[in-house]
Amino acid sequence: MRTRTFACGAAALVVLLGSSATNHAQQQGVADLTDGWVRIDTEGSGSFGGLTAKFPQAVLTREAAAQVKATPPPPPRLDYARDPSKPKGEGEAYIVTDGRCGGGGVPLEPNSAAFFITQTQDKILITREGSGARHLFLDGRAHPDPTHWTPNAQGHSLARYEKGDLVVDTVGLTPGNVTAGGRRSPETHLMERFRVSPDGKRLTITYTWQDPKIYVKPHSYALVFERLPEGNYAIEDWCDPSDPRTGQSIVVPKQLR
Amino acid sequence: MLKHVLIAAAIALGASSAAAQQRDISGSWELSFDGRRVPTASLVPGVTPAMLEDIAQKDAQSVRWCLLLGLPFTMTQSRPIDIRQGTRHIVISAESQVAPTRYLYLNRATHINKEEFEPTTSGDSIARWEGDTLVVETVGFSATKGMRSIPGGGYRTEDTRLTERFRLLKNGSMLSVTSTWEDPKVFRAPHTYELRYQRLPANYAPRPALACDAFDAERVAFLEQR
Repeated sequence: MRTRTFACGAAALVVLLGSSATNHAQQQGVADLTDGWVRIDTEGSGSFGGLTAKFPQAVLTREAAAQVKATPPPPPRLDYARDPSKPKGEGEAYIVTDGRCGGGGVPLEPNSAAFFITQTQDKILITREGSGARHLFLDGRAHPDPTHWTPNAQGHSLARYEKGDLVVDTVGLTPGNVTAGGRRSPETHLMERFRVSPDGKRLTITYTWQDPKIYVKPHSYALVFERLPEGNYAIEDWCDPSDPRTGQSIVVPKQLR
Repeated sequence: MLKHVLIAAAIALGASSAAAQQRDISGSWELSFDGRRVPTASLVPGVTPAMLEDIAQKDAQSVRWCLLLGLPFTMTQSRPIDIRQGTRHIVISAESQVAPTRYLYLNRATHINKEEFEPTTSGDSIARWEGDTLVVETVGFSATKGMRSIPGGGYRTEDTRLTERFRLLKNGSMLSVTSTWEDPKVFRAPHTYELRYQRLPANYAPRPALACDAFDAERVAFLEQR
């Protein structure tokens, strides 16, 4: 009896010590998201822009559609500074950007560059190879009062785990466009569901935009990412607006006739 | 007997939990106005006033063009930093457009080899715990990019090595970071200073980075006025 009692106590000790040393994600039975990830082209479209073209288009309310129609299209980034009344001369540069460096923020939807997730008990950070971070709060706080919140490009994000998935609810975004014909306002809710494949190698993020003033039904699509190989590391995404090449990256080739 | 075993388990668990707490620097931290103890660096004779002026002018250009400034700026700038300790790396993010995110790798003991690693403003950082102290070693700095001047004097080059020791103080409410810069072409002896950060409340919500517009004519005129 004494031997069994000792064994039970020792087992309890091992379990207690083991659990305290195990990381938070494993304790909760949730997927291990901490690592570097890069978007992959699951549709085989050959371009990331092409990939989104196959997404189901947003179904907008009559009011939102009218607003979109009344909004002038943004100036094209391609050939940014071209005066269409003047033909382009031989060797003249096509200016594909305005020379600015993006502002250092972390976009809601990762593009083709790698991004990194760091999971801790009360917060998850999503970072890139430059500056800035998305902060996903896991500590049970509520969204701020909209009257005390200045909308910004990343909004205010609350996270929770649901059946092994990470679910993130974001509000407080600046007004703007959304992938596949959607729109957003500070009141719009973006629900993101992060799901890691059973082998841990792929991450699918499903985006669902909800706003009865904008959408007839929730606007949803998914992006797929691959875990970077073991030993990966972040490089530095360097951009220098003082470098003329930053604003002029394509030059017309010499014309043969 | 069971009682003794469970007491031992509870004590061990408590000690383990305390150790784990001491080995986690996750949180939002702010460098306070009285949190800098920076002695004057002792520089080698080869570092001339003209060289220091040249570095200062290049740093000013990096600020003027809103370039990533890297270390030591990320750790010395005035807005809070967010530190999160994951299983493979520790990430340090500042509320600044020009402070690149730092990654401190816990899952390797050696630096990326020089042939592979392109020097950056933050270098390549590997981290390990020594008792209650996180020791971070960084090499692979760029000799041309970012803000290179170091508090107390001197500047970083491609051969510079930085060793930082992160340690929690005052029951976890304060974070001490001791930085030691070594570079035989710049410093006569290792140059060490300490920064102390106050822990911000748990409900703190980081603010978006202040915008930096390299094409804002009024800003440029302010920065370049003589």
